[in-house]
Amino acid sequence: MIFYMVVLIVIGVFAVADIYKMIVGPTIFDRLLYFNILSAKIVMAMVVFALMTNQGYMLDIAITYTLLSFVSTVLIARFVRTRGMLS
Amino acid sequence: MRIVSFVLMIGGLLFALFGMIGLFRFRHFYPRILITSNIDAAGMLLFLIGVALQSPNGAFALKIGVIAVLSLITSPLSSHAILRSARDSGYRMKPGDKL
Repeated sequence: MIFYMVVLIVIGVFAVADIYKMIVGPTIFDRLLYFNILSAKIVMAMVVFALMTNQGYMLDIAITYTLLSFVSTVLIARFVRTRGMLS
Repeated sequence: MRIVSFVLMIGGLLFALFGMIGLFRFRHFYPRILITSNIDAAGMLLFLIGVALQSPNGAFALKIGVIAVLSLITSPLSSHAILRSARDSGYRMKPGDKL
């Protein structure tokens, strides 16, 4: 149990560093990249939390979060690439 | 089994640490997206395998396998989308840029 807490704290430190870079980062592509990495960190934290508390439904939320982060990243990337003219 | 799982999870966190170091060390966008998209998928896969080794029942491991397959599919696709967006928007590396 202590091991899982340490893992969660390490993932939290990475996430805070990532959010700092997301605020600082100069261009929108940097921010999009940091958002992509942050969502991966969040999925890792969700899986560890599901294992720690033995709750299976957190994994369903993690699956949904993976798909949603993929869709939002691709949509924002296309939005920037086509200069706001989707479709 | 527990020890192997802990070693795999620490390995995944180590890969994530390498990704964060690369993210703070490189000064330009293209080296950063190279190292983070490379290392983040590997670290997350290792971590998920480590978690799945000590799952309490079969459905838990199956859901973790679904997450692993989904992240294997979607991580390169989203990196490619960001990179293509940056390149098509005219964001280039100039010859005098520091890495």
